[in-house]
Amino acid sequence: MTSYSKEVIADLVAGTLPWPQTRRVMSAYKDDDRFFKYVSVLQDRVGWSDPILLPVGDHLFICQSGEERVTKCECGHSFGDYRRNWKLKAAIIVRDNEELLREIYPNSDLPDPEWMEIREFICPKCGTLHEVEAAAPGYPIVHDFEPDLEGFYRDWLGKPLEPSSKGG
Amino acid sequence: MLDKPASALRIRERLIESERLMDETGCYDGITELKLRNQDPLKFETLHTKLRAYCVSAREMARRISASPGVREVGEMVVAIYTPEGDAIALSNGIMVHVHTMSRFIKWMIRNGYEENPQIRDGDVFANNDAFIGTVQVPDVMDVMPIFHSGRLVGWAGAVCHELEAGGITPGGDVALAQERFTEGLFVCAEKVGENDELRRDYVIRCERNLRMPIYWVLDEKAKVASCIDMRESVKALIDEIGLDYWMQVSKEFIEEGRRAQLARTRQLTVPGIYRGHTFYGHVTAGKPGYQPLGDPDWLYNIPIEMEITADGKIVMDFEGTQPWGYHSMNCTPAGMDGGMFVTLTQHMNFEGLVNDGAWMATELKLPTGTWTNPDNEMVATATSWALLLPAYGVFQRLLSRSFIARGFVEEAFVGQVNSPMIEMGGQSQYGTPFGMAHFECAAAGSGALAIKDGLDTAYVGWNPESDMGNIEIWEQNMPMLYIGRSIVPNSGGAGKYRGGCSFLSTWLVSKTDHLRLVTSEHSSRVFDNGGLCGGYPAPTCQKHRAVRDSNIFDLAENRAPLAHHTGTNPYRSELEVRLEGEHVTLEGPYITAPHKTGDVFTHSYNGGGGYGDVLERDPVKTAWDVENGFLTWEAAEGIFGIVLDEDEEGFPVANLEATKRHRAGMRAKRLARAKPVSEWMAKERERVTAADFAPEVKKMYASAIRLSPRFTKDFSTFWDVDAKSTFGVE
Repeated sequence: MTSYSKEVIADLVAGTLPWPQTRRVMSAYKDDDRFFKYVSVLQDRVGWSDPILLPVGDHLFICQSGEERVTKCECGHSFGDYRRNWKLKAAIIVRDNEELLREIYPNSDLPDPEWMEIREFICPKCGTLHEVEAAAPGYPIVHDFEPDLEGFYRDWLGKPLEPSSKGG
Repeated sequence: MLDKPASALRIRERLIESERLMDETGCYDGITELKLRNQDPLKFETLHTKLRAYCVSAREMARRISASPGVREVGEMVVAIYTPEGDAIALSNGIMVHVHTMSRFIKWMIRNGYEENPQIRDGDVFANNDAFIGTVQVPDVMDVMPIFHSGRLVGWAGAVCHELEAGGITPGGDVALAQERFTEGLFVCAEKVGENDELRRDYVIRCERNLRMPIYWVLDEKAKVASCIDMRESVKALIDEIGLDYWMQVSKEFIEEGRRAQLARTRQLTVPGIYRGHTFYGHVTAGKPGYQPLGDPDWLYNIPIEMEITADGKIVMDFEGTQPWGYHSMNCTPAGMDGGMFVTLTQHMNFEGLVNDGAWMATELKLPTGTWTNPDNEMVATATSWALLLPAYGVFQRLLSRSFIARGFVEEAFVGQVNSPMIEMGGQSQYGTPFGMAHFECAAAGSGALAIKDGLDTAYVGWNPESDMGNIEIWEQNMPMLYIGRSIVPNSGGAGKYRGGCSFLSTWLVSKTDHLRLVTSEHSSRVFDNGGLCGGYPAPTCQKHRAVRDSNIFDLAENRAPLAHHTGTNPYRSELEVRLEGEHVTLEGPYITAPHKTGDVFTHSYNGGGGYGDVLERDPVKTAWDVENGFLTWEAAEGIFGIVLDEDEEGFPVANLEATKRHRAGMRAKRLARAKPVSEWMAKERERVTAADFAPEVKKMYASAIRLSPRFTKDFSTFWDVDAKSTFGVE
């Protein structure tokens, strides 16, 4: 069975694994023990001790926070119950005019702000840009991911989660 | 030697039986146990490798027969071997999207009684390019030939080429101006076009008399027939070696193995749950010549996708909430939607093991009737269905990628494909003859970023993993235009920690013709038709076209004055305007206009891919390299990524790490100061929603989605706490 050291996984996640080695990882049979090593790498990276249950973005994690399961930014800011859309608790910048769009697209033809706006969802504590939506004005904010967390741990990983009194 | 069937094939009954067995057992053709695989796994794997080798070899041979630069240069061809019921067992590289569409074509003939009339006999050639029977669009012409052994139908060999000219209302293959089926060009509807291993002369004559450039189509037909015969003979020789009974069983086990492998791989690489995403596409044709007033000229398409990964590893994709079909060429049939799913899966999940129709059987597509994904009218045009298909499957790639990120396989996460605008042309060639051609350098867009590195620059398209832009000299041989520039477009990848791959832009001088029609398609207007991921921005994919008619370029050349080789980086005054005199044109939407002639200059830009991650985390050293090499501008490095660059003693950019740190701290503070709580923004936005204070096309988009989708209506109403129907005046 293919398996890599935690250091290799850490470098891979950080984008610092040399390309020839990365290429070999991409081409090889996948390592079945990846998930818990990955979570362990991420747990070392964050500055808090709530166990990470599932990464859902580059700096966004579902974690066990006391009795609750919440979506948390890498900085420690909690967006609340992981079953709700974390974006609704985020801060937002909406680029809906030429001046604001031009900041990101300095030399291309721009969308018509009457037809499309760029929405940036930001951690209100550390300012990390977690997600960007390009949507028509008035389009409901997307709930990107509703994982079957319990089923994943129970049926796919074979390690059922401890029952949680709150937050799923 | 031809092999005559001993009796009626009764393949239709066999197909029905195969489907019944699948329904009953959940396994392909009722294969609940992989007996031959278990008996001798090495033999099993070796045989599949041989079949794949037959396919790859047949395709390479056939490409040398073709006259089309699309097939010869950029590999717009795929071949595959099928079971008698029409399920793909093995395939070549190339435009794999068509492996499953050909499967639909074969099944369609079986279901429609072809066994009795026109009969399925050894040496027959059947062709099709009707998307409602089984292809994506009119230029995707497929040929299949039955494989007989010992008087029994034992399989099919099939081949597809993307034709560069289809004889439609506008020249080229992706017939941009088609608004109904009747203007899309030459249709071959599951037709027997050859017998005894030869194409029928009357069919070739029909092609010669209905196409602008028949040499492409006709020689591609010969290439496809040659590849089918090659595969057929290889399979027959293999059956001689392993025995007919073994072949009939092993070919089905290959597919069942592929199905099981797909389910296992989903469970290995992803996380079960519901994933959602969307993209948009703007179609702007108001006032353009040639459009018939059949429907609204301007249309905004929303393409929402909900993907469920079930506990057993099945991937279910649901397009509910998207727009109705329209009087344009961007509609797609279920065959095309299947093809999109198949080619995406082969790139993202089936990178090992047996690749065949089994993978497709482990997925499910929900295509709402009446939408562009499943038109309830078979008269609609589908000639440019990639316009909506590519953005849609780009969303699929992002949804899958989120699951890879959640599971830890970050090296597989990919922000996805983008549309790659097509330019097609016709009129009088540089040789003084009539011509027509699709220019296929579009088969090399920028890709979306990965979760661990930047996207590929000018080297990826979704429909063909073997992307290639082709050589300039070859294209110049085939059209009355000369390249005066083929340049990377700076900042054309979506910004992010890892940027999307950049696109390129071609600048041509029209040469040696008085009549050159240029037509473009598959590029969005007014909205980006792609997205970023995890904080990355979408790529800027709503470029307009710029041209100069009656330019003074020959005078400039004679005086050795500088020419324009690209449009430059000033969005308000292009290099064409700076360098050239003449009638300057900037056009939004499909480029459908009066013919060009010698001395005109035309530019056409392709698309870059979306970005990944927060821009303020981008590597400053890599960014300095990007600026030096023209992928990013100095202005973007500082303004978007917060990277301060200095010049070294030779004038090359170098990152100033300390100044970057300070600048980024300032940008982050500014970002926080500018942002407001989502709840506050929503409260204000709700007022606008309640008043339906939107552009007419946006209102029409909402009303159309509400009419077609109870779920969209409910989600919209719940999110904004409004009655969506009354807000948009839907009865």
